[in-house]
Amino acid sequence: MSAEQHTPVSITSVSIDDPHMQPLARNPRRMEQTIATAMFFGLLSFVLFGVAYWMNWAPWSLGVTLGLGMVLLGFGVTAWGKYLMPKGPFVEERHEVASTEEQRDSFAAAVIQRNLGILGRRKVLGGLAGAGLGVFGIVAAFPLIRSLGPLPKNSLKTTDWKAGSYLVDSTGRAVKVGDVAVGGIVTVFPMGFEDTDNGQAVDQTVLIRLATADVVTLAGRESWGPSGYVAYSKVCPHLGCPVGLYEQQLEVLVCPCHQSMFTVSNGGYPTFGPAPRPLPQLPLYVDGRGYIRSQGGYNQPVGAGFWERS
Amino acid sequence: MNRRIARALVPAAVLGVATIGALSVFMGSGAGASTTSTTSAGTVAQSKAAEVISVPNAAYQTTRPNAGTANSNMQIFNKSGKLVAYGDKNVTYTAPPSSLIPLGQAVYMQNCASCHGVEANGVASNGTPGGYPNLRGLGPATIDFWVESGRMPAADPRSVQAQRHPPRLSHTEAVAIAAWVNSLDPATPYIPHVNAVSTAAVTDGFSLFALNCAACHTITGGGDALANGTNAPSLRNIPATQVAEAIRTGPGNMPRFTGNLSDAELRNIVAYVTGYIQHPSNPGGLGLGGLGPVAEGFIGLALGVGLLALIAFWIGDRT
Repeated sequence: MSAEQHTPVSITSVSIDDPHMQPLARNPRRMEQTIATAMFFGLLSFVLFGVAYWMNWAPWSLGVTLGLGMVLLGFGVTAWGKYLMPKGPFVEERHEVASTEEQRDSFAAAVIQRNLGILGRRKVLGGLAGAGLGVFGIVAAFPLIRSLGPLPKNSLKTTDWKAGSYLVDSTGRAVKVGDVAVGGIVTVFPMGFEDTDNGQAVDQTVLIRLATADVVTLAGRESWGPSGYVAYSKVCPHLGCPVGLYEQQLEVLVCPCHQSMFTVSNGGYPTFGPAPRPLPQLPLYVDGRGYIRSQGGYNQPVGAGFWERS
Repeated sequence: MNRRIARALVPAAVLGVATIGALSVFMGSGAGASTTSTTSAGTVAQSKAAEVISVPNAAYQTTRPNAGTANSNMQIFNKSGKLVAYGDKNVTYTAPPSSLIPLGQAVYMQNCASCHGVEANGVASNGTPGGYPNLRGLGPATIDFWVESGRMPAADPRSVQAQRHPPRLSHTEAVAIAAWVNSLDPATPYIPHVNAVSTAAVTDGFSLFALNCAACHTITGGGDALANGTNAPSLRNIPATQVAEAIRTGPGNMPRFTGNLSDAELRNIVAYVTGYIQHPSNPGGLGLGGLGPVAEGFIGLALGVGLLALIAFWIGDRT
């Protein structure tokens, strides 16, 4: 193919017997047959799609017939344009977009000399319009600010865990000291909050049994792990994912989102991953009838960091 | 602290009594049906929790009835007073037959004793988490699970985690090993059989699966990687009994789910796993292994966008 044939020609002046007007295909007759075959089978696929729809065939047969029909028909149309239409390349001239110098000058003169003078005669109206828009801007901000919601006040730092809260599972059953075997885990909530949004989002806690004897996870937490039970917030201190992956031999809690690992026997200390703090631990005690209850709230705010805390 | 506890005790006591009352009503309603439907050569007794069985490894047992524990609605004793089966209408836990003990001892000595010791009390080892553990007092369900899932005898005893394989020993041999090891230090849980899986409440099973299992095994049951080279295996090809055994015994790093899951809830989970997890409906025809949006997005990018790029080249090429 010569270089002359690659030079674009004007589409308005090219003659019908110009090389640019020839199809790309060396054998247009055979190409037409190929395209016709593809289009025919595409048509057949669409018919099959209709049959599959009315006969209630499996959903995947709908996808296959529809997809195959579109691919074959699309191939046909594209190949028609590519191989059988005039191969070009063509150019088509367009007119100048910009206005002439004179037109621009007269427009500027009309706006500046005439219209500003007319507008300047009504200073009161202009001032009122400007003041109205200004007031509107101020009052329009009120609902925007209000839609941010109420101030969080103390809610970021507290949970529904109180002194004496019973630990209940998702069905509301209170957990007794003999219920969980060593190596077991239960997701627990403070009794009465297992079905509330706040309970499931903020109060959710993993109760793990590490041993049958009392467990001390850190100095100063001597009474927190009665009968081998320890409880940690299930809300990851990184971004708040549920830390529910417990490996009982390694005694490690894993966060599913970013693979932070927390050592259960060591105060929930993070040993891997992006978590910036240990998991908050809930102090527990066993009451006289064998129920596991909380001594009070968490030792620190649960969940991800926020302003006023790192 | 004590005063705060005392102040909370009054409302707490009311709630506690209500909970106990609700539990006892629930347990009482199931008792009649299961005992009458049980016939056996031995005697049938109810609520003999105290004298049921000696529990050498109490750490792995719980006190809540009908939670894989011997103190269940249905208990079957043989002529010599040994508990051979317990459970309720949802799950029946059966001891391996004592007639298999000689076979079990022989198979154990050939396949297991080199690591776990000739008395099955374990061998300390360096480097391997858990070493070669003491098998005594773990209960027959634990032994049966590890052998029947092909994890034991271990292909590589020093690996961090034994992986599932086609079982090396037959079902009878596995139960026989469980029978012999259990004869050394009798314990529960026995080998569970989940009754009438097809009529269980799968919606409840799904909720419990999402809460307790999906964290590690993923919501499609495909399994996932965990900490320190361990992984949660896929649940796609696991028989009902092994699912129940794993839940009740907590093999490897999996937690034990005992008192907090009743046998009725266990049955619902097993029904969901053996039903919907193992036979997903995949309305699109291709599940892509249920690997989740990241894997599916990758396939969409690599195949879909790659294919589109090739097609774009073909359309734009004018030679």
